Amino acid sequence: MPEISLFNSAGRDAVVNLQSVTTPLRVRWLDPQGRQVGTARVVKSTLDRDLEALIEKHGDLRAIGAAIRDQDPELDIETAGRLLSETSRVYVDRGRKIVHRAQEWEVIRNPDGTERTRRRKAIPDPNVGGETPPLKWSGVLIPKREAVRKFVFVQKMQLAHINGLTYDFLFAIAKELESKESLLLLGGGTKSNQPLILRRGGSQFRGFLEGRTKGETYRLVLHLSNLELKAPEEKDSPEQPAEEKAT
Amino acid sequence: MAKPLVFQWGDRQLSFQMNKVDRAKLYGFKESEVLDDKGQKCELATLASDGQTVVGRGGSGFGNLTVDGAWIEKAQLTPVDPAGQKVQPVPSSFAAPVPLNEKVPPEDYLDCAVRSIYQLQSPDDVGPLAAELRQGVIYRFPYSFRGGLEPDQGFLLANAEGELFCAIGKPTKVEFLSLAQAAAAYEEEEAGEEDEADAMDFSLM
Repeated sequence: MPEISLFNSAGRDAVVNLQSVTTPLRVRWLDPQGRQVGTARVVKSTLDRDLEALIEKHGDLRAIGAAIRDQDPELDIETAGRLLSETSRVYVDRGRKIVHRAQEWEVIRNPDGTERTRRRKAIPDPNVGGETPPLKWSGVLIPKREAVRKFVFVQKMQLAHINGLTYDFLFAIAKELESKESLLLLGGGTKSNQPLILRRGGSQFRGFLEGRTKGETYRLVLHLSNLELKAPEEKDSPEQPAEEKAT
Repeated sequence: MAKPLVFQWGDRQLSFQMNKVDRAKLYGFKESEVLDDKGQKCELATLASDGQTVVGRGGSGFGNLTVDGAWIEKAQLTPVDPAGQKVQPVPSSFAAPVPLNEKVPPEDYLDCAVRSIYQLQSPDDVGPLAAELRQGVIYRFPYSFRGGLEPDQGFLLANAEGELFCAIGKPTKVEFLSLAQAAAAYEEEEAGEEDEADAMDFSLM
């Protein structure tokens, strides 16, 4: 279970659980017998039988077409249709062989696409866990009404207590933030101005802590943002939201 | 010209063109390059659990399996909601004007995990609606690009500069926690003004 270590406004720190928050399942699929079905990932084709491999072997597309008609070279019946689970990500070279000593680089580009810098990819360590210094109480409170108009919150995590003491600790933080109707800026570093890194090599976010209470219960949510709510400097031609998934 | 998103606001229909806003447009973007020891570019692939089968991009797919492990086509399946009722498809939001009749507090917007943001531009006179949004009003509406079973949540709001945006996302479920209970995890998957401005520097990430 991931953890987060943080201070409260009184300068006391604690390590608590940090849990994923995702969207609840709203649609289930039932078979004709009314039983819920599951999804499975299966192999369609392996790398040694993809188009490039077939071109190398047969020469051109016309020859490949003939081969597909006569021999099914694109299909390995021992492999196609096998369930894929517990997979690993690997890199392959141009010869489709697994690369064991890969070098990762980052090319940073400006909004216009020009190259800004090129560097070896760093894999930063997380800075919110129980083994890192506690995140400071930044004291930067942003009213919710302002925050939603300045930042885009793309992910959320929920802070949860692990015992009675941390229940009191988190409940008090939630109550304090609720009474101020504000989000607390939560960041790394001594000035809370460093982005949060939740997982090794993971994305970097600005964190905003929101608290709500209901009777003796509380919810303390870490809203994560990597985008401000603002227009790009140069307006592009209108772009249909083609990247939206079909819903 | 892309088809506009049309809102029904009171007795008026207001059409908006949508311009996607993302990190690349605001701050630039990062590309990853992976090189082998000869300096040649490599590609990402998937290694199966047998340690031998390598699957490239597009080499795998998803299918549906019954509880018995049998393959079943999607056409044979029935979509139902959590209560077991058959789900009726919704039309595309671009097929007809979308009524704007639900104002929500900031908390409702905060409960949504935003997936996409669009800047809105309109050839119509949207002054009265824009004025309302600049006061902090947020409208929520169901949104579906192509139409389908599960509409997303759309939010219409203005930023601090008064520009209009549409946020698209899905609601999240966060439980209130009591002393006796830990949260259910839904796995699916001291600064001055200058320092505060520094803390907000998104381009550093």
